[in-house]
Amino acid sequence: MSWHADDGDLREYAHGVLAAPRLWSVETHLAACADCRAALTAHVPAAETDAGWARLDAELDAPRPGPVESLLIRVGVADHTARLLAATPVLRRSWLGAVVLTLLLAVGVGLAASPLMLLATAPLLPLVGVAVSFGPGLDPTYEMAVVAPTHTFRLLMIRTVAVLSTTTVLSGLASLTLPSYGLAALGWLLPALALTSTGVALTARLGPVLAPALVGAGWTALVALSGLLASGTPLPFTAEGQGAAAAVAVVATALLVTARDRFDSGRRLGPSFRSL
Amino acid sequence: MTRPPGSRPTVSAAGLALRYRGTRAVDDVTLRLTEGVTGLLGPNGAGKTTLLRILATATPPDNGAFTVLGHDPSTVRGRQDARGALGYLPQNPGFHPDFTAFEFIDYVAILKELTDRRTRHAEARRVLDAVGLADVRGKRIRKLSGGMRQRVALAAALVGDPKFLVLDEPTVGLDPEQRMRFRELIAEAGEGRTVLLSTHQTEDVAMLCHRVVVMDKGRVRFDGTAAELTAVADGRVWSSAERQPGARAGWRTGTGEFRNVGDPPAGARLVDPTLEDGYLLALGGDTPAEVAA
Repeated sequence: MSWHADDGDLREYAHGVLAAPRLWSVETHLAACADCRAALTAHVPAAETDAGWARLDAELDAPRPGPVESLLIRVGVADHTARLLAATPVLRRSWLGAVVLTLLLAVGVGLAASPLMLLATAPLLPLVGVAVSFGPGLDPTYEMAVVAPTHTFRLLMIRTVAVLSTTTVLSGLASLTLPSYGLAALGWLLPALALTSTGVALTARLGPVLAPALVGAGWTALVALSGLLASGTPLPFTAEGQGAAAAVAVVATALLVTARDRFDSGRRLGPSFRSL
Repeated sequence: MTRPPGSRPTVSAAGLALRYRGTRAVDDVTLRLTEGVTGLLGPNGAGKTTLLRILATATPPDNGAFTVLGHDPSTVRGRQDARGALGYLPQNPGFHPDFTAFEFIDYVAILKELTDRRTRHAEARRVLDAVGLADVRGKRIRKLSGGMRQRVALAAALVGDPKFLVLDEPTVGLDPEQRMRFRELIAEAGEGRTVLLSTHQTEDVAMLCHRVVVMDKGRVRFDGTAAELTAVADGRVWSSAERQPGARAGWRTGTGEFRNVGDPPAGARLVDPTLEDGYLLALGGDTPAEVAA
């Protein structure tokens, strides 16, 4: 190396105040000249060096987001929200395995006879998933989460979105195995939204156990009765039934929004909340 | 060594009551906590955990009122502010077992509304360093020992530098060495903070606490210093060669003699009381079965 950087330039570079074009020249030179890099070290404040190492260290052991979390961040979800979504308690292999098994059984019946089993079962999956997300049953960090300043309603909505998205994708894949039924194989979608939103909205009044239990029982009774009473397509899966499900989903969502403060009121939600 | 505790109340509770499964789990409890470590002693089922859950805002009381660092948890705003200022280590802390220690603390930091990634990670590193887990922060929690998991839970409680720390029996299940290490950590945590430590080990109280509250059957039976609790048993502990039917509690010691607590008969050989003797007497009429010999 036939030349070396000026000492004043190195000092300014170390303090981040060297302006272009000298900045470019010094930077290019530093990459090739060990002597100037050594000289630069003397100009860098020790605290800044320590802070730099600390930042590097922090990046090296920072949590690596999993595939779902990475995807969420890539589509614009804030990294802290993505982490809460990915950490939703029910999104574990055991729960997802149970969902897949249920759908496989329903599809098996569908392939053999009619898609009614899939249409009746799929709406219950997010209802149950959201219900068990909202309590200590499956959330090992429930006690810590319940005293955190994060609003309960926000956490509930994040978990509801996570569960609904997952079960919708899985149920959608299950529907693809029944192409002969066309769009009718997606007849579970609106009831799923209706049941989930109704279940969550009623949770504010009846608690996280009774509300989804009543909604699930009501749905099962409706499907069973309409199957027995009608010879053709059961009522919930007709055009009128689908319209009614959409209306119920909208009304329940509106009720949920108006009741959102109840989740953060500090009072027990329904008669069963005391045991949580 | 903890610094002398402050005298200004940081957490105040009056007339707290909560019924749980038909019993009065907490019954008219009035407390004023100050800076430093306060021990909450009591047998199983005394209502310690229920009281801690109330003060940690995990469950609202049926009756009574309390404030945490000036915030009133009976209002939405007050509860959010109180939660932002407190750390809670529950009796059975749960973890996402597939998370590393760092990831778990990061998750807790998000729940505590530290949304900026860099700030959050710096906080995770700070609290893990504080509990001596810097070297294992990248390890999955399921691969950590019980003592290390408990330290992860303490680190989670310390996220955000809370000024009120609620610790529910944090030394249960730890071996003696881990227990000593944990006591050091709690003593450090008590510097400049209000710490409420639930325990049924009088050694914890003797080593850590500037003040002790004894609970039984949902009620406060004693509230004072450890020395005052020991003094409750002054002149009420004696040794004898035979079991003393009139003693409230009695057990054979390593010397082969019986140590008795209660109202001594005339001419009894009185011995110096310990904190445990005072605790047994503070519990009142019912002798804990496991103590009676």
